Amino acid sequence: MIESIAFYMMAGVALGSALLVVTLRNTVHCALFLGLSLAGVAGVFGTLGADFLFASQILIYVGGIAVLMIFAVMLMGRTSDLTLRQVNQEWLAGLLVCAITAVGLWRAAKACLSATASGSPAASTRPLGRLMLGDYAVPFELISLVLTAALLGAIFFTRREAGGRK
Amino acid sequence: MTLTLGHYLFLGSGLFIIGIFGALTRRSVIGILMSIELIFNAANVNLAAFNRFLHPDGVTGQAFALFIMTVAAAEVVVGLALVLAIYRSRDKIYMEDINIMRG
Repeated sequence: MIESIAFYMMAGVALGSALLVVTLRNTVHCALFLGLSLAGVAGVFGTLGADFLFASQILIYVGGIAVLMIFAVMLMGRTSDLTLRQVNQEWLAGLLVCAITAVGLWRAAKACLSATASGSPAASTRPLGRLMLGDYAVPFELISLVLTAALLGAIFFTRREAGGRK
Repeated sequence: MTLTLGHYLFLGSGLFIIGIFGALTRRSVIGILMSIELIFNAANVNLAAFNRFLHPDGVTGQAFALFIMTVAAAEVVVGLALVLAIYRSRDKIYMEDINIMRG
């Protein structure tokens, strides 16, 4: 029972602030609500019993990506952005695409309404660590390579070239 | 009433559709990047839910969700760096102004 209440609260926070992220005009508010939505998703992970995902969602998404977004908004913002229309002219076509997708996903999700969980969730941090250093050792190393490449790429793209030119 | 897999799938599809709508309709590049983050989160919710309901003994779905989180972090870092570079050289962040490749 308490699990259901927690799920509905967290899902409401996640979905409501996600809607605000895509509809608000002020980009700073959008970035802040993105952080709230990601925190709601972290709470949903909590109701699923995925404790390590819960922690890393807060660490990586709320503490890293949302803050990075706020930095980017503040670096690249102008005062006119705060009130300007943020939705393009094709929003009606976008709504149509979303409605068609929603019908398909609705039918797929409705078929799963009978699958209930068995037992209580177990702690997942230790098995995750064993999996990462056992079966998934190669993808684990590859993902660190991807992170290094992303870091180098970010530095390469944003550095100012020497000699006055921007 | 008990929670079923369908509840989590509904949440995942809701987040996904909101993200798709944002990615299709936002004018600024940063707004599109935010919407893409929402789509990644929808995928992660689905992975964790399938792990819990269909395969409760293992943690493979959660491991995949962790990989997706890492790739999303890399993606947003490179994306924001590119946007910053474009903003520096052209002083523009709205999509309709950045169509130099249209031919």
